Amino acid sequence: MKAVIQIIIEQINSFYLILRLSSFELKSENNNNYLGILWEVINPMIQIGIYWFVFGTIRGSHRMVDGVPFVQWLLAGIVVWFFVYQGILHGSKSVYTRIRMIAKMSFPMSAIPSFVIISKFYQHLILVGIIVIIFQFMGQFVSIHYIMLPYFMFATIALIFSFSLITSTLSTIIRDVQMVVQSLLRVLIYMTPILWTMEGVKGWVRDILVLNPLWYIVDGYRASLLGTSWYPVTHWHYTIYFWAVILVFMLIGSVVHVKFRDRFVDFL
Amino acid sequence: MTESVIVQNVSKRYKMYAKPSEKILDLVLPGGYGEDFFALRDVSFTASQGDVIGIIGVNGSGKSTLSNIISGVVPPTFGTVESVGQTSLIAIQSGLNNELTGRENIELKCLMLGFKKRDIKKLEPEIIEFADIGKFIDQPVKKYSSGMKSRLGFAISVTVNPDILVIDEALSVGDQTFADKCLNKMNQFKEAGKTIFFISHSIGQVKNFCAKALWLEYGEVRDYGTIEKVIPEYESFLSDFKKMTAKEKKAYKDEVLKKQSGFYLKPQST
Repeated sequence: MKAVIQIIIEQINSFYLILRLSSFELKSENNNNYLGILWEVINPMIQIGIYWFVFGTIRGSHRMVDGVPFVQWLLAGIVVWFFVYQGILHGSKSVYTRIRMIAKMSFPMSAIPSFVIISKFYQHLILVGIIVIIFQFMGQFVSIHYIMLPYFMFATIALIFSFSLITSTLSTIIRDVQMVVQSLLRVLIYMTPILWTMEGVKGWVRDILVLNPLWYIVDGYRASLLGTSWYPVTHWHYTIYFWAVILVFMLIGSVVHVKFRDRFVDFL
Repeated sequence: MTESVIVQNVSKRYKMYAKPSEKILDLVLPGGYGEDFFALRDVSFTASQGDVIGIIGVNGSGKSTLSNIISGVVPPTFGTVESVGQTSLIAIQSGLNNELTGRENIELKCLMLGFKKRDIKKLEPEIIEFADIGKFIDQPVKKYSSGMKSRLGFAISVTVNPDILVIDEALSVGDQTFADKCLNKMNQFKEAGKTIFFISHSIGQVKNFCAKALWLEYGEVRDYGTIEKVIPEYESFLSDFKKMTAKEKKAYKDEVLKKQSGFYLKPQST
């Protein structure tokens, strides 16, 4: 628990630093392209288009899910997936790709995954903005439920950060962990009801799938953007479960991070 | 004079693995696994404020490892390093981000060194003036020549006004005028009572610039003292070493290798 508090204090103290570093991160990643930062949005938009085509148009288009058209249901869920995917992927390799440059600097190592994740969060914000605009044309107007969005964005960042804290440490020590994370992410999109609906899934399969904390986030985004329910309240037991998972991730992550961070350089 | 850097019984052990699987074993087994290699063994010395210390030794004697340990990049395996004030390491690979412009790199580095926004605004023009790379300051660093990179790296490192400066072969890249400029700056530091560690293969530069010398031989301190005392010994060692026959050289190297694998070292605890 002491390690967790230490990590959280470090995050708060280096807040300005994390913001500045994340903007540099964004710049240095996209400096080579003429369209620059625009690619951060174009890429996911293309993917959304493909999923829309495959899972929406080809496989029966005018389905309704929970009282909303499938397309809207898909968009509201997938928008957060790109953030989770990018955040975990880059967060996990953040430490070992930067440690050389950063080792001699006087700032906490735990800020490395955070600034990488925050740099992906900007992209997420723009994407959410685009989706919201699209929804206005589809007749899905801004509602009072939107006030849940900041809460779910925070929950997503908490999930990505606590998970990356574990994987960024492990992948520095054993590089293969990054490969494991990559395959895990490929599986995760199909293990979460993002592209398909849960209607046909019942019994023990559902009980297992619901353990995935990403489900909470995806459903929460849908509830906020589509205004279907006050999700964190109506599913309060799931809310408690989600934050318990985050706490466990944070505990494991902080302990391994604090234990190994002085020796990160030795593992290169 | 007050002591600024106290290095006590510092050893640095690296593991050599024959296969990647041995690395896993080393992590899992409580006693560790793999062949030891001691880059530094039981190094102790003290530096005072205003000292300019040249670190000399042949290749593989642990100069760069020591400089990394003093500046806190790499933690020592055993022993302690105490330093008073901020340490700044200047190496050829200056740790600049290749995709960002020089100006952005300045802000990035200063931020990571813990400077506030206001201080960085003040420092930036000074750094740009010292680096003196003209319009290139707004170009991405990947377009820089190696000289320009080291100039920018050096400019940032000296302008942030560290208390302890570690220079690892960094002057060998710049041209004569820039080297002179750096030497001037370092003389100012010397007068201001800062501690400077200067690592160079050029005995001439060490003689000119340093007052003390630390002679490392295969990870151990062979000698530490004034330039007048250490440098002649080092020079005579070098000429003796050159004169050795191939057989003698090999015998000497074997002995050294045995030492570095921890043969004579009793088990220590941290």
